[in-house]
Amino acid sequence: MGRTAEALRAVWRLFRPRRTIWPTRDGWWSLFAAVGLGVAAVNTGNNLLYLLSSMLLGLIVVSGVLSEAVMRGLRLAPVLPDELYAGRPMLVGAVLANQKRRVPSASIALEALRPGGAVDRAVYVPWLPAGAERVVTWEAAGLPRGRRRLPGVRVTTRFPFGVFLKAGRPLLQEEVLVFPAVGPPPPALLRQVGSGAVPARRRGRGADLHNLREYRAGDDPRLIHWRSSAKSGALTVRELEAETSLDMRIALEGTGARDPVRLEAGLSEAASLAVHLLALGAQVELSGPGIAVPLGRGRAHQVRLLTELALYAPAVSRSAAAPASAGVREVRIGLGR
Amino acid sequence: MTPAGFALRVAAYLLAADGIAALALAGIVGPVGLGLVGAGMLASLGSPRLAERLGAGPRLASALVGVAAVAAVVDLVYLADTVLDGLVHLLLFLVVARLCTLRSPGDARVVAFLAFFMLVAASSASFGVSFLAVFVGYLLLATWLLLLQHLLVEAEPAPRRVVLAGGPAGSARGLLVLAAAAAATTLAITAVLFFVIPRVGLAALPFRGKMGPLVTGFSERVELGSYGQIQTDESVAMRVHIPEGVADPDRIPDLRWRGLAYDEFDGQAWRVGQPERMTLRRAGVGPGDFRLAPPRGRGRALFQEFFLEPIGTDVLFAAARVLRITLRSEELTVDDMGSLSVGSASARLSYVVESELGEGPLTFPVRGRGPDPRTDPAFARYLELPRLPARIAALAREVAGDAPDAFQAAVRLSDHLSREYRYTLALERRTGLDPVDEFLFVRRSGNCEYFAAALAVMLRTLGIPSRVVGGFQRGDWNPYGRYFTVRMKDAHSWVEAYIAGAGWVTLDPSPRADAEADSAAPSAAKLYLDALRMRWYRYVINWSLRDQVEAAATIRRQAGSWRVTLASLPSWRDVPAWLAPGAALVLVAGAAWLWGARRAGPRATAVRRMPRFYARALRVLARRGLSPAPDETAREFARRVAASSPSRGAPFAMLTETYERTRFGARDLTPADQASVEAHLSTLSQK
Repeated sequence: MGRTAEALRAVWRLFRPRRTIWPTRDGWWSLFAAVGLGVAAVNTGNNLLYLLSSMLLGLIVVSGVLSEAVMRGLRLAPVLPDELYAGRPMLVGAVLANQKRRVPSASIALEALRPGGAVDRAVYVPWLPAGAERVVTWEAAGLPRGRRRLPGVRVTTRFPFGVFLKAGRPLLQEEVLVFPAVGPPPPALLRQVGSGAVPARRRGRGADLHNLREYRAGDDPRLIHWRSSAKSGALTVRELEAETSLDMRIALEGTGARDPVRLEAGLSEAASLAVHLLALGAQVELSGPGIAVPLGRGRAHQVRLLTELALYAPAVSRSAAAPASAGVREVRIGLGR
Repeated sequence: MTPAGFALRVAAYLLAADGIAALALAGIVGPVGLGLVGAGMLASLGSPRLAERLGAGPRLASALVGVAAVAAVVDLVYLADTVLDGLVHLLLFLVVARLCTLRSPGDARVVAFLAFFMLVAASSASFGVSFLAVFVGYLLLATWLLLLQHLLVEAEPAPRRVVLAGGPAGSARGLLVLAAAAAATTLAITAVLFFVIPRVGLAALPFRGKMGPLVTGFSERVELGSYGQIQTDESVAMRVHIPEGVADPDRIPDLRWRGLAYDEFDGQAWRVGQPERMTLRRAGVGPGDFRLAPPRGRGRALFQEFFLEPIGTDVLFAAARVLRITLRSEELTVDDMGSLSVGSASARLSYVVESELGEGPLTFPVRGRGPDPRTDPAFARYLELPRLPARIAALAREVAGDAPDAFQAAVRLSDHLSREYRYTLALERRTGLDPVDEFLFVRRSGNCEYFAAALAVMLRTLGIPSRVVGGFQRGDWNPYGRYFTVRMKDAHSWVEAYIAGAGWVTLDPSPRADAEADSAAPSAAKLYLDALRMRWYRYVINWSLRDQVEAAATIRRQAGSWRVTLASLPSWRDVPAWLAPGAALVLVAGAAWLWGARRAGPRATAVRRMPRFYARALRVLARRGLSPAPDETAREFARRVAASSPSRGAPFAMLTETYERTRFGARDLTPADQASVEAHLSTLSQK
């Protein structure tokens, strides 16, 4: 039975129409009028009624042809944010290109869908000349943590008379990874991290001078060392030493299998703390049930940490946490039972 | 108001005017109604300001709608002549009310719908080609309005909907062209659908077709001289289409369209006495197919398609002798004098007749046998005469002289009248004598009625049964549409006399042809325009199942002839060998062109849009072995150029920056930019 249904679904996917077409309210009126006039024409034999009925049918045919001309040759390329965070609205975009050589596309709407398929919001593009492209962006609702598929968008048009809604198949249903929600770490966690800093003999965001170097675009102007700049004739900035005490091991406790709310809150706290510490130049290690990310720093390390947290799923059997690196302080975050 | 909003408003008013024109041309709305609606439309132009000044809110509008609803019900139930009239009044009110409250694009759409229903209402009473004009006008305006309205509605902001700038307002001309193309395509599709949609029988003519006033001369009692009133009337009475297959229909002798026959004469007027009338039910399963007489096989068969203008008579006209008639009616009335009539006003506006024409001029002496009219009581009514002066009978005897038989006597009388009397439409009476007496002995001139009456009376005085027939002359032949245009002025009267052995023989004593010989023939342009009008009647108003079957048969026949033609083509083996390389070359060139056209897609567009100076720079670098990779952006390429050839990096970076600004920033090069570009290009080339 299951195989048959799957086969049927496969056949449907193979042969399903590229577009759907559905009458709008005015379209239903037009159809009713055409059919009603047709019936009246047959009953009375009045050829002028046949003529008017034919005109309505002709308008419907022309509407279909023009809307097809508008939809044909449109291509949509996704422009997605690099990182997605759970529950946070995201700016999603797409490059809408009219690949036709001569025919412009008019009155196109990009409808962003909700997970159920309902229309969440729409962006209306009144005119797209032949060969032109346009970047369209919209705000999408945040997704839950984990590996998710975007609900997608569909290209629709009511062109030219607003009597039919022609819609393409949903596009941009990309699979994305949604990191846990990241925000300011809770004060309690920050208190655990503490502030007793000692220099660590490497670049960071501590208080002691580590080095002087030439100014580069993006450097904090407050770090400019004016005396050296005056001597050398070029802008010089101070590099500060990191503080060893900020290196941290984040240990996740519990599996969260029975308390999804606490699980998400815990993962979010862990992610927020990790991002906070990494931003301060600290090294961060992550351990927990089935998770073991060694001490590290930098952008790539942050992505690795967030990916582990995004993909974390409570399992029945999880390996125990890896032993802590020597000399690294630990912060424990509970995920619930 | 934006230009698009203004255009929409104009289109709405034009559409309303088009719908009202359709109603007026169909005769559903009279001058008073037109005046009222026109005043309403004019008032609607200033209604927003007026409403503002009066402080009228939605409550007043609701109250007005309520009052109008009550008025519409009262009108429908008590005041309007028919339900259609009541509905048309309601439509007119609604369209004026909507024009008064024209605010949003959606209101204009409602006006378009109301105008469409006006056309539907008009279709029930329209007959003329003027409907085509309002139909095409509606199609053009409605396409434009619906397109514009759609774009305006879609561009309206709404919650959770973002409207990007850059609408097609700048390309209004393009939109106009698009709307016109859409309307033209719709018209073509409409034409195809109209002719292809299967019919179920004969076309019905407008059920509310307004009949003209009763035409003088085609009622059951005709005063002498009554034709004179219509014989100056140039309006068209009917058109008689003669299908293909009949050679030179305009040269068929003695072709007339017979209408009513009169047998009783009271000295002043002819009337239809007490003939035996039969009501025939349609025969067989065919649509309104009536078989009236079997063919005798002696005369020429002639098919005629009649398209009558709505004239006020229930008589059917046709060439005598009618064998068969097809019309959209369940029954047909025939009297024993061969007059045909049908009660349904719309059914007689179009019908098809098969006739067997006379076998030509009779020859002397008439041979054959038949009932003797002097003894057969069935002919008594054709011999009755009122009290008339004796000199009429004396004149008849004198003219007939020693004619050996009745037919020769009749011919002598007819010839005498044609020769000795003058045809005129000046019919004023000069004496108090009987009209026929005055015509024969005092005035000696008259129109066809006087000639016919005089001949019929004189024949009866000789004991030859006779009757007067009213109908039309054949009319003007229109070669563009293969039909006769018969005008009211062609109304005619002639005589049928019963000759034993020959039956009823037609005699036309009126020298009318001589009198009208100098009348100007219609110009070719007039004939052509009238042929267009005829085509409208023939192929739109009267398009029927029979026409569809005939069209299908013609197409099939044509296809068959093409098949024969293709089969007769020489086979490819017979093609000369020297043509083969040329044909192959053409095929290869065509394939190459198609391939090139397919390949030239977005890439060709991208190349087209590339500024020339950047293309030149790319060519210069290509000569030095530096070309952009397919997946490399302009900036990435510029960085690669700088890395591999630092001396070219700076000028090419500047050129890249200018390229990005002009191509993606949609800004033209200023003169300063152009000078800078030239300088960098020369630097790039030199090094």
